[in-house]
Amino acid sequence: MIIFLLLPALLLLLVVFVVPLFRYAWLSFHADSVITGLIAIPNGGANWLRLLQDLRYWQDLGQTLRFAGVSVGLELILALCIALLLDQRWRGRDVVRTLALIPWALPTTVMALGWRWIFNTPYGPIDHFTKIAGIGSLNILGDPNFAWIATVWADVWKTTPFAALILLAGLQTIPADLYEALRLEGGNALICLRRITLPLLRPYILLALLFRLAQSFGVFDLIQVLTGGGPASTTESIALYAYWNALRFLDFGYSSTIIMASFVLISLICVIAWIGLQVLIPTHPKSRGVIEL
Amino acid sequence: MRHSHFIRRIIATLFIVLICSAGFGIAQARSIESVSFLMAAPFADATQDLVKQFNQEHRGNISLQVVRGPLETEAMSDLAISSLLLGKAPFDGLLMDVTWLPKYAAAGWMQPLEDYFSETDIASLAIGAREGNSYDGHLYRWPMNADMGLLYYRTDLMEQPPETPDQLVQVSQSLQKDKKVDWGYVWQGRQYEGLSCVYLELIDGFGGDWLKTDSNQIGLNSKPGVEAAAWLQGLIDQGVSPRAVTNYGEAEALQSFKVGDAAFMRNWPYAWAELQKSDSAVKGNVGITTMVAKPGHTTATLGSWGLTVLKGSSHVDASIEAIRFLTSETAQKQLFLKYGYSPTQQRVIDDPQLLQDKPILAEFGRALKVATPRPQTALYAQISDVLTRQLSSILTGERTPENGMNVAAANTNQILMSAGEKP
Repeated sequence: MIIFLLLPALLLLLVVFVVPLFRYAWLSFHADSVITGLIAIPNGGANWLRLLQDLRYWQDLGQTLRFAGVSVGLELILALCIALLLDQRWRGRDVVRTLALIPWALPTTVMALGWRWIFNTPYGPIDHFTKIAGIGSLNILGDPNFAWIATVWADVWKTTPFAALILLAGLQTIPADLYEALRLEGGNALICLRRITLPLLRPYILLALLFRLAQSFGVFDLIQVLTGGGPASTTESIALYAYWNALRFLDFGYSSTIIMASFVLISLICVIAWIGLQVLIPTHPKSRGVIEL
Repeated sequence: MRHSHFIRRIIATLFIVLICSAGFGIAQARSIESVSFLMAAPFADATQDLVKQFNQEHRGNISLQVVRGPLETEAMSDLAISSLLLGKAPFDGLLMDVTWLPKYAAAGWMQPLEDYFSETDIASLAIGAREGNSYDGHLYRWPMNADMGLLYYRTDLMEQPPETPDQLVQVSQSLQKDKKVDWGYVWQGRQYEGLSCVYLELIDGFGGDWLKTDSNQIGLNSKPGVEAAAWLQGLIDQGVSPRAVTNYGEAEALQSFKVGDAAFMRNWPYAWAELQKSDSAVKGNVGITTMVAKPGHTTATLGSWGLTVLKGSSHVDASIEAIRFLTSETAQKQLFLKYGYSPTQQRVIDDPQLLQDKPILAEFGRALKVATPRPQTALYAQISDVLTRQLSSILTGERTPENGMNVAAANTNQILMSAGEKP
């Protein structure tokens, strides 16, 4: 019976997830480009061999991992702070809760265009401030050493509210009497955070982490608008490279190979992140004791 | 309660289907051919009046509909390609950028048009506008408006614009020394297609060639090729161009020039209209000329838009009729006067009345005469991509001009070889 109830959802998954995946896997063993007249011709493992030797792919992979790692890390720390703040009772909290969501609600392209002008040298406000501060013009988006930091910055600005929202929802599931009990035993705020909040928040942190990792690993629109992958290709991400291959070069075989390789990699990374989190925030035996109280 | 709701919905749906099919029936009975073209948003807006006129003139025969696409060239290309990949395209024609044509033709998406446009038709086009419409011996595109790279200069700062690269640097430096302007020259140095356009004008201007498509000879690492890249890099090093030019697109360059911070700007014809607006600090002080070059090597990168008919369209004749209307002399005059789109028909460019009303047309015409298309190969997107990658590395000091252009040439060679275009 249960299988019949699940069937519509399974069918949907099959159509939007499994079928394209198999299609990519199949295409990655074919030459299908403007040269072949957009006809798929089996070419063995040629695409995969090319991928292994493609320095650009590995450079992009490194850059994507750097982007994802730094921005998701920063986002989770900031989001935890924001969520803790928004969980407290204080005047005007509801207004701030709503306002905090605005960056998340903005379309990425719009906010990326905004940041492009904010970072603009010499007409953007950031350039103005650094000049006043005596640092001089930084040329953030035009400098290979700085441009990727700008992409991280814009991403953190936009998606921290999303992570904060998930963590806030998690915070609200924690019963208040747990904290009261620990306080009676003499625990201070820091102990409360370590013994109760973090362990009980773990599934929510994991959820936010996985969502954000997968998303930032596939970052596309932000970079496309902000830097276009430049300068000197220092901000190009894997998704951007796959997109260029598919829609600009009309090389669907190789593009599929990039996508398949990335799929495998991101799956691996998510598993590692999941295990890492188990180790990092253990379910504290003492906190379980408190719950039993 | 729920039940009656459901029934009501079914009845409503049936009713809509009935009306629609009745509508189709009437259309069928009158045998109106409906033609639809996909255009980037600015063009769709600009041609609205023309489409209305066309539909009035062809009432009962052809109904032309323009589908308003996205604003940006690249987004337009994505939409067009995505719909073409699905097989039968949902439109009959497409307004196409000059660089897409070989790729689309090689993909087999376009209807050859040589049977519909005669030699006399082609002879009526301005010389630069005849380029970039054919691939592999077939005509695929009919130009609607011409676009070419131009050098904008400040008439209040100099009497004559510079003609050679060295002169441009000299004039810039002396103006900067006198504190007349912050910057000498602003251009498109961001890692994107605009940088290829900038570079094409210079490699040709230094007497070289990016890629000769007939012999597949690559000139990127030749002497002029390296010189052109080194000149661009030198502009930044000498302070003639701001360091930030490495992330400048058309909009950023225009902003800098518009507020009066720069003496020169490279941009397309659309910038002219922008600089005449009331918020422009340089209004009335702007002149246009062709890009600086060594004597006898003047060029302008061609970037025109033209109409094509897609393969599989069942309204080819009606589409041609519409294309002829939209690219007619009257249409081009209207588009130029109202929206500043530069014409492609030589007679419109030479029109005395038009020249009197808008003297700048003469400069557009002069630039169009020397306009050169970017390499016409189905692999253009790839070779332009490797070029902009290396140019961006050179401009940001990650590579020397020699090294960068050698890599760009090697990469280009690799692309051509793996496509079997080169032994």
